[in-house]
Amino acid sequence: MLTLAIDTSTDNLGLALMESGQLRGEYNLSLKRQHSEKLLPLIEQIFELLGIQPRELNGVAVATGPGSFTGLRIGITTAKLLGRIFSIPVKGISTLEIMAAGIAEPYLLPLIDARRKRVYCSFYQNLRTANDNFLKEIYQPTAISIAELPELLSNYKEKEITLIGEKKKEVRRVLEANAFSTRLAEAESDLPRAAVLARLGENYFKTGQRDDIYQLKPAYLKKPQAEINWQQKYGNN
Amino acid sequence: MGVGKLKFRDKLKDESEDIYILALESSCDETAAAVNKNGLKVLANVVSSQVDLHKKFGGVVPEIASRKHLELLLPVIDQALAEAGIDFEDLDAVASTSGPGLVGGLLVTLTAAKTISLALNIPLIGVNHIAGHIYANFIANPEIKKPLLCLTISGGHTDLLYFEDLRGYKILGRTVDDAAGEAFDKISRFLGLGYPGGPAIEKAARAGNEMAVDFPRADLGDSYNFSFSGLKTAVMNYVNNEEQRGNELKINDLAASFQKAVVDSLTANLLQAVEKYDVESVVLSGGVAANQRLRSYIEEKLEEHNLKLYYPPLELCTDNAAMIGAVAYYQYLERDFAPLSISADPSLKL
Repeated sequence: MLTLAIDTSTDNLGLALMESGQLRGEYNLSLKRQHSEKLLPLIEQIFELLGIQPRELNGVAVATGPGSFTGLRIGITTAKLLGRIFSIPVKGISTLEIMAAGIAEPYLLPLIDARRKRVYCSFYQNLRTANDNFLKEIYQPTAISIAELPELLSNYKEKEITLIGEKKKEVRRVLEANAFSTRLAEAESDLPRAAVLARLGENYFKTGQRDDIYQLKPAYLKKPQAEINWQQKYGNN
Repeated sequence: MGVGKLKFRDKLKDESEDIYILALESSCDETAAAVNKNGLKVLANVVSSQVDLHKKFGGVVPEIASRKHLELLLPVIDQALAEAGIDFEDLDAVASTSGPGLVGGLLVTLTAAKTISLALNIPLIGVNHIAGHIYANFIANPEIKKPLLCLTISGGHTDLLYFEDLRGYKILGRTVDDAAGEAFDKISRFLGLGYPGGPAIEKAARAGNEMAVDFPRADLGDSYNFSFSGLKTAVMNYVNNEEQRGNELKINDLAASFQKAVVDSLTANLLQAVEKYDVESVVLSGGVAANQRLRSYIEEKLEEHNLKLYYPPLELCTDNAAMIGAVAYYQYLERDFAPLSISADPSLKL
């Protein structure tokens, strides 16, 4: 079983190929706004270097955000077309879940910069078994101001919370000022790693889980600004 | 455009063989897919409009448009393939508009086309949307004789082109400042006639005297270039002077005189080219091509040269992918393929 993982949700361009539990290749490149120019050439390259044909794919896992709207559409469009052309399953996976799934600690708070002192985050409890990590989602992905995090997490003050992502230090300052106990993820875990996305995808496909490619869309978590402005002016209709 | 690597699934075809192209378009507020056979034969032309979605905002909202393009992408492709009665495997190439337009929207079909190109190992063709509108003429009127001249005029561009055949064109002239449609919009707003300026000026001009004010026509010497900013300033100065003198403005006369100055400038360069190039037909495209005064004046002048004027029918004036597929076919014959690294260019020129 050959799974391609695609992540264009943040500045990181993530690509990985996993073959039945074995990682064949992984790119994590901090490319900022170049996903459109770089994604397809890199997919072509990873196939070429590994001597694999695109039609050998058995599934595509794609990060659905939160993140850059334009970036997300690039990755999801690519996944949709690969799914449609090769009639293979596609699974959309939260970028925050990818970040958390790489870490074997009990309480996980993955963070993505949403600008203006806000973050996208979700909150997980890691229910470990002998062979696996299972993430229980305590709070689903949301956009929140950093100042509001202590209130959101107030039931977990006695737990040690692992902070993941580029905003981890800023969030740590706010949480520790409110008597939380935190630890910081290692630097290499601050990215949504493409290999983790590939592993999650393969696990979903093994249990027959897939998304409808016609319904698949980014986790925008925010209406378009024009819609927000219009509603503020005219109300909700 | 540079070709990355030539190693496509099949040997590239030439014009003696049937060539099937899937073309995609999402540069503004229509999500469209088409299948063209040998360029001008349209096997399917699916357009899903989002106009109603943007109405309440008084214009296209880029982020809303991009979200909708992503939702409509697979359905329009499926429908186009089904209507054409072919499958992905039958395609010889895939094309998408690469600009000009709204970048977020452009990226949806451009990324889709790249993925199709990679997955099927067929050439990728990036098409200029403005060229698409010109080729809509050739779909509607396949009998158009070559060589020909084309005047393409809209709110974003004003170009005079020479086509030896449909495989490519030479740019004879373009605007050095404002586009003609831009001048219509600016003067219409200035005269309080509203937006879009083209139809508003044309309507007011029908009740006016186009000889009332002799506005300047830019003369850029031997070049075929256009200029409309001097005319725009002249109209504004004239109005300010009249207002200072306390004279009542005759808006209809001003609209008619301004419109005639634009029509004269456009026609003068076109006729200059008609004299120089031995052409069989003349083609208009772009939003300003809908102007009746421009059409009738050019038609009248071309009669003296025994030339017929063509312009696109209404149904091919709106954005569609069939026109993109038509351009793509000729790019295919020229092996003008795009690398997978091509990006959308929101201000792409011809």
